[in-house]
Amino acid sequence: MGEATQTSIGDRLRRSLWLRVAGVLALGALAGILAALLANVFVAAVIWANDALLISPRSRMMAGDTALLTLATVMVPAAGGLIVGLLHRGITEGRAHGPAEIIAAVQTRRGALPPRAGLFSGVSAMVALGSGASVGQYGPLVHMGGSVGSALARVFRAGVTADNIAIACGVAAAISTAFNAPIAGILFAHEVILRHFALRAFAPVAIASILGYVVANAVLPQPPLFQIAEAEIRHLWEFGSFLLLGVLAALVAMLYMRAILGVGQVAQRLRLPRVLRPAAAGAGLGLAALWVPDILGIGGETLRLAFIEGAFGRFELLLVMSLKLAATALCLGMGFSGGVFSPALVIGSLFGAFFGSCLGALTGGENSALVVYAICGMVAVAAPVIGAPLTAIVMVLELTGSYELTLAALAAVALANLLASRSFGRSFFDRQLRDRGLDLSGGRSRALLASRSIRDVMGDDYVAVAPDSSVAAARAAMAAARSSDAYLVDREGRYRGTLLLQSLLGAPDAEAAADWCDEAHAVMTPDTSLWEAMQLLRDFVGESVPVVDPDGRLVGIVVESDLIRAYLDLLDAMREEEHAVA
Amino acid sequence: MRWPERWPATLLLALAVGSATAQETTLRIATWGGSYEAAQEEVFFTPFEAADDIKIETVAYEGGTGILDEDPPDLVDMAMSEAIAACEAGKLRRLDHGALPDGADGTPAAEDFIPGAMQDCALTHSVYATVIAYDRRAFPAHPPTRIQDLFNTEEFPGRRALRQRPDANLEWALMASGVPPREVYDLLSTERGLDLALERLNRLRERIVWWRHGEEPVHLLEAGEVAMASGYNGRFFAARNRGASHIAILWDAQIREQQTWAIPAGARHPEAAEHFIRFATRSGPLTAFAERMAYGPARHSAARAIRRHPETGADMRLHIPTHPYNDRNAVAKDVDWYAHTLERIRSRFRDWLAP
Repeated sequence: MGEATQTSIGDRLRRSLWLRVAGVLALGALAGILAALLANVFVAAVIWANDALLISPRSRMMAGDTALLTLATVMVPAAGGLIVGLLHRGITEGRAHGPAEIIAAVQTRRGALPPRAGLFSGVSAMVALGSGASVGQYGPLVHMGGSVGSALARVFRAGVTADNIAIACGVAAAISTAFNAPIAGILFAHEVILRHFALRAFAPVAIASILGYVVANAVLPQPPLFQIAEAEIRHLWEFGSFLLLGVLAALVAMLYMRAILGVGQVAQRLRLPRVLRPAAAGAGLGLAALWVPDILGIGGETLRLAFIEGAFGRFELLLVMSLKLAATALCLGMGFSGGVFSPALVIGSLFGAFFGSCLGALTGGENSALVVYAICGMVAVAAPVIGAPLTAIVMVLELTGSYELTLAALAAVALANLLASRSFGRSFFDRQLRDRGLDLSGGRSRALLASRSIRDVMGDDYVAVAPDSSVAAARAAMAAARSSDAYLVDREGRYRGTLLLQSLLGAPDAEAAADWCDEAHAVMTPDTSLWEAMQLLRDFVGESVPVVDPDGRLVGIVVESDLIRAYLDLLDAMREEEHAVA
Repeated sequence: MRWPERWPATLLLALAVGSATAQETTLRIATWGGSYEAAQEEVFFTPFEAADDIKIETVAYEGGTGILDEDPPDLVDMAMSEAIAACEAGKLRRLDHGALPDGADGTPAAEDFIPGAMQDCALTHSVYATVIAYDRRAFPAHPPTRIQDLFNTEEFPGRRALRQRPDANLEWALMASGVPPREVYDLLSTERGLDLALERLNRLRERIVWWRHGEEPVHLLEAGEVAMASGYNGRFFAARNRGASHIAILWDAQIREQQTWAIPAGARHPEAAEHFIRFATRSGPLTAFAERMAYGPARHSAARAIRRHPETGADMRLHIPTHPYNDRNAVAKDVDWYAHTLERIRSRFRDWLAP
C-alpha cells in the first residue's frame, strides 16, 4: 500500500508542471546552499593549513629566518605532493577530476558525476593548496559544487536534465561564494558549464547562487580573493592600449596553457612512477621558492602587490611572472590537483602591470594608474583560460563596483578570447577534453552524438550466410527472412562480406555468393559513435550496417531507421533542455 | 537583586586581603604620563588608595619590554603585542582570570570582556586607536579625509609628527597604496611589501618630526609646529577639551590595539598588583575612564554605560574609536604578528632611519 501511494505521488509530481518547477527550484536551492558552505569550509581549511605549515607569508614572517622555515619550504610541498599522488590512486583515471569532467558530463547529457572521484579530488586539492602547490582553488571548488549538485539530483531521483541543472547550481554557488560575486557565479555556470541560456536552468541557478552566497556569509564568512578600490581611466586613447594588452595577454594565456599541457606530456615519458610525480614537483617548487617565495601557494599577496606602483621593478615583473607560470605548469603538469584560474590571475596581473609600466615609460607617465593595467591584464589572461569572457568582465564589476574599470576590462577581454579560441581552443578545459577524445568545438549536438556509441541501437536480427554458399542459397535465405541484405559469416563467426538482394537478383544460381559481395559496404565497430555513424550514412545504400568487433567477428547490425531515431531523440532531448521554459 | 548583595562582600574580601598582605606596601605602576595618567589617577589610583592601605607610585613608561629586565615595577600598562611577546619570553607572571568579578549588569566576566582581552599574562583594560590628527588652520579650504593625504605633501603641505617606531607608520604607508586593512599584515610579511612601505615613508622623510612620548604630538600640533601628527585618540581628545579646538582627528585607517595590565615576573608585590587589576577592570571604573579619555572599555557592560564627559558634557560615545562613525577602514593591530616580528621589524626600521 505504501508503495502504491509513493507511485501516485511520484506520478502526480511528474504530471504537474508547477510541482516539477518547484522541485527543480528546491533541488537547486539545496545544491547551492550545500556547495556554498562546502566552498567556505574548503577555503578556510586551506588558509588554516597555509598558516600551520609555514606557507603563508604571514606565518613565514612570524617564524623568522630559521632552519625550520627552509626545511618547511622544501618539505611541505613535497610531502603534500606525495599525499596527493597517493590520493589519486583512489580515482579510476589516476588523476584529479576538475571542471573539464563537469563540462563533459553536462554537454553530453550524462550527469551523474562520480561521488568517489569528487571526494578524492576535493581532498587532494585541499592537500595540494594547503601545502603550497602553485595551483588554483576555483577549479576544485567548481568541481565540488557540481558533484554535490549531481549527488543531490540522484538522491531525489531526478532526470538527466534536472541533474545538469543541479550541477550548474552547485557550480554557480561555489563561484558566487568564493569570489563574493553572485552574478559572476550565475554567468559562469551558463557560459562555461551549461553553454545555453534556458529560463528553466536560469531560475534555479540564480536562486542557488544568491542563496548560497547569503547563507555561507552568514555561517562562515570568508574574505574575497581581492578587493580593489576604484581607479580612474585618464585618457580615452587608453582603450586602444587595453585592446592591444588583450591581444598580448592572449598570447601569454596560450603560452601558459601550452606549458601545462607540455609538462604533462613530458611527465608521461618520465621513468618516475606516477604516484611520485607530484612530490617531485613539490620539492622542485620548494627549492625555487627559497629564492623567490612569491611563487608558493595561491599568491594573493603577489596579486595585491602587482596592483601597486613601485612594488616590483619592470624586470622583476617579468621574472616573477615567468617563474609563476613555470611553477604552475610544473605542479599541474606533474599531476598535482588544483585549478588553472588563480595562477592565471596572478600571471595576468603581473603581465598587465608590466605592460602598463612599459607604456608609462613610453608616454612619460601620462597613462592611468598601474592598477588599471594590472586588472586588464589579469582578466585578459584569465578569461581565455577558463573560456568565460562575460564572467571575467562581470567579476571586475562585482569586485570593484567601478563601471569605468569594467569597461577597460571589456576592451581587454574583447580580442583576447577570440584570438585564444581560434589558435588554441575555447578554454583550457575544452582542450583537455579534446585531448581525451571529446571535441566540443563543433557544437554541442556534435559532441553529444560523438559521446554515444551505436551499441545501444545495435540489433541482432540479420541473415547470416556461410562464405561457401551459392547465390541461390543466399537468395533463398534472404527471401525467407524478408531481408534485402545478408552477411557472410565463417565458422569462427568472422564477418566476410555483405550481400545485397539487388546484386544477387541477376547472378547465376550456381556461382559462389562470396563473388557477388558489395565491396564498398560500410562497417562499424561497437565503439563507433552516433556522430561517425551518421557520417557513414551519407553515402550509404542498404538497410543496415554490420557491426564488427576488433577480432573481426560480426556482433550485430545497425538498422538505418534505428540510427536516425536515436539521432532525433538525442537532439530532441537537447533542444528540450536548452529551449523549454519548464 | 542578587548582584548588589554580592558587591559589598566582594569589596570587603578585597579589603581584607589588601590590608592583610600589603601593610605599608607601595605598588609601582609603569604608565604613560600626561592626560592619560591624570585620568588613571582620578578613576583608578586615588579610589584604590582610598579603599586600601596600598600606596601607588607611578613610573614613566614609553612602551617596550626593556622595563621588565632590571628591578621591574609591580604592574605595567602595556600594549597587547608587547605583553604577548614578553609572556612567551617568560618575563611576565601568568594571570588567573577566573577571579574577575561579573559586569555591573550581571554579565559573567568571561562574556563581558571583549574577544581576545584575556591573555595568559595580560588583561585588556582599554581599546585605543592610533590616529592621524591635523591642524584645521593648516587646511582651511579642504581638510585631509583619507590616509593617502598623510603622504600627499603637494595638496597637504606641512610637517608631519610620527612616532619613531615602525608600527602604525608601516601600516599607513601600505594603506596609502590602496591595500585594504585586511591584507596589511600579509603584505608586511613579504620582503617586497616591507620595502614598499619603507620606500613610501622615505618620500616623506624630510618632513617628519619624530616623537617618542604620547604627549609630544599633541604639543607639536597645539604649537602649530606640524600640520599633521600621529598619536593616540584619547590624548587628542583631551587636548581639544583643554581648548585646542583646531585639532581634528582623521579617523580613516585608525589602528586599534588593546592596552593591558601585566605583572612583571620580577614584581615585588604581585598579589597587590593582581588585587589592583581586579579593582580597576570592574565595569564602573572602566566606564569612568572611557568617559574621560575616549578609549573603548574592555567590558561590554562598561561600553553600554558610557554617557557624557563629566566636565564638558560632550556625548562621549561619538569619540570612542569603535563608534560606527569612526569605524570605517579601521585596522585591528595584529598583535600576534607583532609579538613574533617586532624585534626584526624594529631593526629594519632602525637601519632605514639611520642609513
